[in-house]
Amino acid sequence: MTTTKKISLSEEELVRALKSQETIAIKALYDMYSGALFGVVSRIILQPEVAEDVLQETFIKIWKSADNYDSAKGRLFTWMMNIARNLAIDKLRSKDFKNANKNQDIENNVDFIDAQKEVTFNADAIGLKDMVTSLKPEFNLVLDMVYFKGYTHVEAAEELDLPLGTVKTRIRMAIMELRKNFN
Amino acid sequence: MEEGKAYIESGILELYVLGELNEQEQHEVEAMAAQYPEVKQEISAIELAMEEYAIQHSVQPSKGLENKILEKIEAATIDTSKVSENLTTTTPQDAKILPLYPEGYESKLKTLRIALVACAVLLIVAGIALYSAHTELGTAKDQIIALNQDKQKFANTVNYMKETNQELQTIADMPNDPDWKTVKLAGTKMAPQAKMMVYWHTSGRHVMVDNSKMGLPKNDQAHQYQLWALVNGKPVDLGVFDVKADTTHILLKMKEIGSAQAFAVTLEKRGGVASPTMDQMIVMGGVSI
Repeated sequence: MTTTKKISLSEEELVRALKSQETIAIKALYDMYSGALFGVVSRIILQPEVAEDVLQETFIKIWKSADNYDSAKGRLFTWMMNIARNLAIDKLRSKDFKNANKNQDIENNVDFIDAQKEVTFNADAIGLKDMVTSLKPEFNLVLDMVYFKGYTHVEAAEELDLPLGTVKTRIRMAIMELRKNFN
Repeated sequence: MEEGKAYIESGILELYVLGELNEQEQHEVEAMAAQYPEVKQEISAIELAMEEYAIQHSVQPSKGLENKILEKIEAATIDTSKVSENLTTTTPQDAKILPLYPEGYESKLKTLRIALVACAVLLIVAGIALYSAHTELGTAKDQIIALNQDKQKFANTVNYMKETNQELQTIADMPNDPDWKTVKLAGTKMAPQAKMMVYWHTSGRHVMVDNSKMGLPKNDQAHQYQLWALVNGKPVDLGVFDVKADTTHILLKMKEIGSAQAFAVTLEKRGGVASPTMDQMIVMGGVSI
């Protein structure tokens, strides 16, 4: 499914290797998921160099917190994804980041556009584009705000001036639509 | 079964996968998942969909990053005995991130310090310059005032000399003009030492008292001398005058008269009187034809 696959392990093997602190686990995780995780991080943090620092922190935290992962509670990717999102949001809200950001707005926007150009659209992604457009845009908007932009669903509700229930419904509908397309 | 379905439809499982629930809510979902297989299955389906969605939105980080991360992790593995229990270590992250900005701050701070010192020095220099300029300006102002005073003095002197010169000229011209009569007034019994000179131009009717040849005692503030012309035995007022030490004019113009046989001066109260007080007559002199 991913664009470049060097090492790919099954989920069980990955978890076992990660928990026993074998570095091959990190190599495999990086090869399989760095693009997906960076996709999320770099949409929250628009400066590529800062986003890469956050991605680096993410892998180090995945490595060090491997014991905390419980496969009974959910998939490995979900766990990693939440680590990445939380680190990115923490960085976005940190004081020194905000300060540095004030002076670099224009520069960063340019970087952001450049970063956006590097997105690798493969055959699947083209299919995805069609799929996304088939979804009602306002349903997808709420999901993307939460999943890719670092909003909490409460903040998204405030931002869009929608009741919390509506936001929840739209997130569910959007994910239902995704499931329909992926299956 | 029904409870599980309603739970699925509430939308809480999506929020669970998105990491949007607090700890208590998470435990609740996990308990439900343990109890109802369809809840667990639903969570897995949502997770797979989100995983797929993220993979489709992949952005490739730069190529060197993987090696950087592996180096970090290998370095951390060597130290693993030290940090084995400290799984949520944040120090390496902080150590990694902080250098991004402090270096900039450090040099900015240094620049600002230099700028501050420069400003302070500039302020002191400007202050000194302002103070000295202010002092010099004060001196210059004093000099201007002094020069103005000098100029005024000179102008006054020149004026005085001009007038004096004019008056001296008038006196000098008198002998050439037969109409000018010089009348010497001599002291009466009351003041035998007193004397003075009156110039009278018969056709021009001018009467002048000569200050330079004034021989009258100084009058006080309450009194003034009054000049009279005796015309056919009757006294005619010709005005009052003072005798002071610092007279500016040589000649003192009095009222005009066309004919007179004699001039006399009495000491009267200040401002003069209508008819002379005869016992206060100081000097008197007849006009020689």
